[in-house]
Amino acid sequence: MKILVTAKRVPDPESTIKVNSSGDGIEEAGIKWVVNPFDEIAIEEALRVKEAQGDAEVVVVSIGPSEAQEQLRTGLAMGADRAILVTGENLDTSAVAKILVKIVEKESPDIVITGKQAIDDDSNEVGQMTAQLLGWPQATFISELKIADDKSSAECTREVDGGMETISVPLPALITADLRLNEPRYASLPGIMKARKKPLEQIEAASLGVDTTPKIVIKSMAPPPAREAGRIVESVDELVTALQSEAKVL
Amino acid sequence: MIDFHFDEEQQLIHETVTSFAAEQVRPAAHDAEESRTIPQSLVDQAWELGLIQGTIPEAYGGYAQEPSSAVSGAIVAEALAEGDLAIALHLLSPRLVVDPVLRLGSEEQKQELLPLYCGEKFCAGSAAVLEPSWDFSFANVGTTAKRNGGDYVLDGTKCFVPLASSAARMVVYAQDEQGVLGAFVVDTGTPGLEVGEREKNLGLNGLETFEVTLSDCRVPATRRLGSDATGMLRRSRIALSAMAVGVAKASLAYAIDYAKEREAFGVKIAQKQSIAFMLADMATETDAAQLLNWEAAWKTDQGEDAAREVALARYYVNDAVLKVADNGLQVLGGHGFVRDHPVELWLRNARGFAMFEGAASV
Repeated sequence: MKILVTAKRVPDPESTIKVNSSGDGIEEAGIKWVVNPFDEIAIEEALRVKEAQGDAEVVVVSIGPSEAQEQLRTGLAMGADRAILVTGENLDTSAVAKILVKIVEKESPDIVITGKQAIDDDSNEVGQMTAQLLGWPQATFISELKIADDKSSAECTREVDGGMETISVPLPALITADLRLNEPRYASLPGIMKARKKPLEQIEAASLGVDTTPKIVIKSMAPPPAREAGRIVESVDELVTALQSEAKVL
Repeated sequence: MIDFHFDEEQQLIHETVTSFAAEQVRPAAHDAEESRTIPQSLVDQAWELGLIQGTIPEAYGGYAQEPSSAVSGAIVAEALAEGDLAIALHLLSPRLVVDPVLRLGSEEQKQELLPLYCGEKFCAGSAAVLEPSWDFSFANVGTTAKRNGGDYVLDGTKCFVPLASSAARMVVYAQDEQGVLGAFVVDTGTPGLEVGEREKNLGLNGLETFEVTLSDCRVPATRRLGSDATGMLRRSRIALSAMAVGVAKASLAYAIDYAKEREAFGVKIAQKQSIAFMLADMATETDAAQLLNWEAAWKTDQGEDAAREVALARYYVNDAVLKVADNGLQVLGGHGFVRDHPVELWLRNARGFAMFEGAASV
């Protein structure tokens, strides 16, 4: 069995994000970069499937700048077997999905697991687009994954509004990981040391023959307006009046 | 000539240990101190990180690809201690046996002892270094090792011996008849080795420490590691200094967060000059301590004689951590004095660094 997982390079969620001076992106100086937390969950799930199946290979893929090697090493240190880095600049979700399709076609995995979304742009698109372009079944926002004994299908529990939905998808399929799927392991020191010897293949996006012209262009970026300080009112009546006449929400 | 970037492997190690310390160790610190125990589940979880096995070469059951570096060791010690010092010392205790065996041990000793620390479960280690005498120093160790046939006979009293009741063996430092400092691997069940009552300390209450008495304790000569063990203690001092830096970093970060939150006279106290100056002093002391110790570690890794740098770092770090922890408490004002905030624990723990290797150890 082969499992392909993604590892996007994103700013650490603990970082303080500032808009850059040209106003079209974030200030990258001083930012710590990490594996997208949802991708980390995807990697963990792939490793658990591998551990349960015994005979399985986990391939971790990142699409982005060459520095994303660091995130791939994290994936390898957690336990993935090998890594593929597709380098390219200014890639939007549609370009990333098209590139991922090429990698999937080359690798022919049984399952592709991605994070449900990346925490930088929060698009929540790549998984769905990739499945669509491949013509594969997809199961998104998964909180539980069970591979059938004959490995021909997977039972996936999805978090939907107001409850849980369990669906079965034939393999190969694409799955996107939600927060509650698992708790990712720490990369162990032995894992980190072994990671150095694991193969990391680099491919240039331009060599894959896909049109990566962005369909989305970021025109400008601005921080949300600062919240004004609250006010303590004397009585409920005063509150109701203020909500009606000032805030105009009642 | 100078580069302060971690290499890729150190970066990953740093990330793993920092996350583990922040997410698992720190939340357990308060209860460990109050209940005087460290939860086994945390110890088991840490064992899976391979902090010890990662320093032992593959030939002896570990995973290390190359000789362990003092810089990498300092990175781990610093990050863990930033979570909690008592827990860090407990988790790294196997190194008290593993490191001397790696550095000083013969091939037979490595084959025999190292695989014991590469198993599925945490295997506590211990070292008997300090002695309860007013003139203790490494140049003047009171515990003696007298050769008697195929054995050494150890006599003396040791204190602050961590995990002495649960470790299967400890490294005892004693002076031989030629006045050379020797390191002896002693099984804790050896007749003549008596583990006393658990000590009650100012801080570090999560960590079990004991007085150990050696009287007519016979150890086979094959259990002596190398000849002169002085250099060994130099390496352990780098790790200890790194832990002190970790405590200082914890205190600094906590004080900064608090000062940015806490309001007085209508502004955040971080904007008050008296607090801002204090934070700036703390940051300067912490970085200076870290840099001195990194230099000592780096020089050690180069195979150069780092006696001077190690001594300077120990001397400076001891004072720095105490000052930073004390200021950290002061930034919190009255809140710093109550046990709900960890700053008072860090101050108590910081006080220990001047003690751990003997007051006159430099």
